[in-house]
Amino acid sequence: MSPPPRILCARYPHLALVAAWAGHPELRGEPVVVGGAAELRLPVLAASAAAQAAGVRPGQPLREAQQRCPAAAFVAADETAVARLREALLERLCRLAPIVEVGDEAAYCDLSGRHAAHPEEPRWAIAVARSVTDLLDDDGVAVGVASSRLVAGVAALRAGSRRIRRIAPGEEAAFLAPLPLDSLPVDAGIAARLAALGLDCVGAVANLSSGDLQRQFGPAGKDLWHRARGEDGVGEWPPVPRTGRSAAPGGDVSLVAGGAASPPRRLGERLLLEGGVGDLEALRFAVHRCALELGERLRRHGRRAAVITLVCELDRAEPAELRIAPLHPPGSGAELWPVALELLAGLRLPAPVTAVRLEIEGLQGRVGRQVDLWRHGDAAGEEISGAASRLRARFGSAAVRRAALAVDPGDLPERRFRWAEPGPDAGGGADGGDGGGGHAPASGAALPGRRREAVVPVMPALRR
Amino acid sequence: MSTPLSQALATLRRRYGDAVIQSGDTLSRAAAVWPTGLPTLDSRLTAGGLPLGRLSLLAAPTSPGASGRLTLLQALSAAASRERTVVYLDLAGSLDPGFLADLGADLEALLVVRPPSGRWGEGLSMARSLVVAGAPWLAVALPPGAPGGSRGDPGWEHRLVGLVEAVSARQAVCLVAAAAPVPPALSYAASLALGCEAAGWQEAHGDVVGLRTRLTVLASKVGAPGETASLLLRYPRPFATAGVVGRPAVVDLSATAETVRAQVPAAAAG
Repeated sequence: MSPPPRILCARYPHLALVAAWAGHPELRGEPVVVGGAAELRLPVLAASAAAQAAGVRPGQPLREAQQRCPAAAFVAADETAVARLREALLERLCRLAPIVEVGDEAAYCDLSGRHAAHPEEPRWAIAVARSVTDLLDDDGVAVGVASSRLVAGVAALRAGSRRIRRIAPGEEAAFLAPLPLDSLPVDAGIAARLAALGLDCVGAVANLSSGDLQRQFGPAGKDLWHRARGEDGVGEWPPVPRTGRSAAPGGDVSLVAGGAASPPRRLGERLLLEGGVGDLEALRFAVHRCALELGERLRRHGRRAAVITLVCELDRAEPAELRIAPLHPPGSGAELWPVALELLAGLRLPAPVTAVRLEIEGLQGRVGRQVDLWRHGDAAGEEISGAASRLRARFGSAAVRRAALAVDPGDLPERRFRWAEPGPDAGGGADGGDGGGGHAPASGAALPGRRREAVVPVMPALRR
Repeated sequence: MSTPLSQALATLRRRYGDAVIQSGDTLSRAAAVWPTGLPTLDSRLTAGGLPLGRLSLLAAPTSPGASGRLTLLQALSAAASRERTVVYLDLAGSLDPGFLADLGADLEALLVVRPPSGRWGEGLSMARSLVVAGAPWLAVALPPGAPGGSRGDPGWEHRLVGLVEAVSARQAVCLVAAAAPVPPALSYAASLALGCEAAGWQEAHGDVVGLRTRLTVLASKVGAPGETASLLLRYPRPFATAGVVGRPAVVDLSATAETVRAQVPAAAAG
């Protein structure tokens, strides 16, 4: 059974502002406006709390911002630093959650299921919050956790700096009910009409019927009705590929942008070894298990790994780490296991190992074709064809073959089929004339009463 | 840092392969099955179907004559080929792809392996390569007699261990049809051994249209042995049209409990 969805929202100062503070530490606590020089005809990109207190808002013209807060420092946005911060944040959060979305002012993580190192949700949320705070070096991080993206965002907004607000599953509507309507992303015109009717809080709107709102405001009304109950709009958060397993650090990483999920960039498995292990057999077992788990996930994603890293966390010592870029990127557990074993053999372990971590990066497409989703093991078709080709090269062309029905079978039963080379292009690789004459009669052919009837051409398509 | 136990485990794995020692959670995963679609086979004789990651054996009785093991093997292979890639190791040399097509097999998904030398060890090694590459379903048709005939086939047991290990690692289905006497190594490696014994011909208008087969669970590491059931292996009409191919090749006779009186000709083969 899939775990209930839990989404964390971490709100922080605009990354451009954080980058500006990193370049000018003396501006912390001062009114700062990011966007450029005040004389430029550009909008305000971000403003510090002090500047916002003076009336500066993002989107305002810089001139207006200067009029509202003449004491503010106007700095240009450092796009390179912002991109670097975003990447670093993404990198860090991807170690904590399977699905991550990072924006300039907020980040969303999927906390569904359980984390191997943080089995309880509060600890998991604390770990995420600490991670963001440490990276941004800012105390203004606020975190909200709820069953939907919308409520998590509102909870983070309401939590305030250095606070975590958790909304229990099923209590989203109750949490939103007393809040003003502008807590939700509602069109200003709709909000004004509702306010004129005295419906100025979320709960009042939630008590209306969906049909009434839809009749008044069209699709936007129905959307508002769902939002007032704490439900996300369509396409706001992509379906989470939940497996019901615990997420390990460096778990499935999907970078989400604009509501579209992309394949994972890296995968990882971490296995804790209680009390520290110095036994090579136990380590081999642990690495084997990690390799099989990762291989299964690789197969599920249809990817191959270009770089494999094995990290052994040691007891009271620096972790031992070894990385390799194999010649043939593994795409399954059976292929990954020898590489992991080679890495384990190359590691020097001066102390007992407390945890084993196997990570794979540089994930690339496994094959250049669409896998047949209805045929089990079709993703391994190329590998099977490759193995068959190697066997043919070693043992002869008759060692591994594929039969195909003849279009015009002729008079003899043995001519009903022809032999073809295995592989995707089997249709054109017939051996020609080999037929079935080189082997014993068909099974059951010697049975009494079984007789061949008139020859009727059988097209392969009819067999399906 | 290595203990005597770990050294002993490493020695056993080097000598016999990784499959000989498994942890409890690995064993629990191996309980998955491939349902054959035959209620008798799936519910009465096995726990849901043929076990994944294990070797299953269709063994003929000691008496000569038809047993239905190869027909059943081919019928199950045909069913499997409609949903996955099937490797058919034809050491018996009796495979007729036309017959498989009549059974409804998807020949595009069927790889036929025949070692040039005909030796068991070589064939098992070839099959192992394909299973390691990801082939999820393996059928092995073994000929009667000792491995390698009079000359023998030294080392085939080790190849069998390698194949079992690959089947276990890739969680593949492996079904072996063997005639009596079944080599001890094969019996030992099989997790499920089904005895296949002919119970009479099925005739219609003077023609033989099928074979009644009695299946008995001789040994099972995944369930209880001793259960018996009857199947009718219906021979498909050669050169059949698509409509006829749709008929079930194997019919469950347990519910009908028909009395079988016909005699099995001794000269007929598998």
